[in-house]
Amino acid sequence: MLLSFFEWLEASPLGVFMKDLPATFAIVEAVHLMGLALLGGTVLAQDLRLLNVILKDVPSNVVTEQAHRWFKVGLWTLLLTGVPMLAGVATKCYHNPFYWTKMIALAIGILFVFTLKQPLLRSDHASLKPATLKLMAVASMSVWFLVAASGRWIGFSG
Amino acid sequence: MNSALLQFAEWLAASSFSVGLHESFYLYNWIETTHVMTLMLSLGMLAVIDLRMLGVAFANVPASKIAERLDKPMLIGFTIMFITGVLLFTAIPVRTTQSIWFRLKMLLLIAAAINAWLFRGYMLAAKNSWDLEAVAPRRARVAAGLSLALWAGVIVTGRFIAYDWFDCGGDNPAFIDWAAGCVVAE
Repeated sequence: MLLSFFEWLEASPLGVFMKDLPATFAIVEAVHLMGLALLGGTVLAQDLRLLNVILKDVPSNVVTEQAHRWFKVGLWTLLLTGVPMLAGVATKCYHNPFYWTKMIALAIGILFVFTLKQPLLRSDHASLKPATLKLMAVASMSVWFLVAASGRWIGFSG
Repeated sequence: MNSALLQFAEWLAASSFSVGLHESFYLYNWIETTHVMTLMLSLGMLAVIDLRMLGVAFANVPASKIAERLDKPMLIGFTIMFITGVLLFTAIPVRTTQSIWFRLKMLLLIAAAINAWLFRGYMLAAKNSWDLEAVAPRRARVAAGLSLALWAGVIVTGRFIAYDWFDCGGDNPAFIDWAAGCVVAE
């Protein structure tokens, strides 16, 4: 059932387009990396602030609020380039354990950010326990690192 | 020039250090992974600084504060990028030396460094006049836009090194072989 979806995706016009010219995939890949820099940078800016490592003299509420806007831009860039990349090599990904690691970590990351981290961080950080803020930061950095690193490993094992 | 570079690359490729890096699946791939993951620190911080200069992020925080506070993490990132980059080159020296993408990437890196250096001086000299404004003066915006464009080019050319479209010895137009510095075998 799931495999037939991946086969359909690879045979779809999008999948064909991604495979037609080798440069298409490479260019989309490069834009995917730009999205990674933006998403990773805004994750690190927020989380390292919550851990009191950087931007200590800027209120953490300001940092998380501002950085989250560009986090969303980074995430959309990654999703909009990630789907075509998947379409180009869908059946390969289906059999790739790193692909599934990444997808599970990604689902956890998105759920974590939008249902837990951001709703919590929208309130005044002074009213939250410092340990809670630090825990959020460490969890966030861990999950996004796993998403990014397992993503890179999809390409090593084909 | 090109044959001297090739000679150096061949000497490096023959060293046991290079062979070891190249042949170890986990070592090579983890160096590559570290290089890519560190994009998040180096170019991530750079993007935040440049977006602040363009007035589209952290507009409610003084520009110099963002630039000065994020400078250190960004430079730590660039240091890791440099070290892992040198190791990646060491692992595959001959092919990389004759890669048109690697050469373009080096040129873009130099251009980005010059741009950053010029802008840094300008920012330090003029920061008090516009620090609190949401949008920086035109010159700072141009430098920030140029910085983002040059680094995007570094990402593209860096990623393209992995592809063999224009490898020496292939069926390439003459100017590609010239730009890649392909040395004709004697």
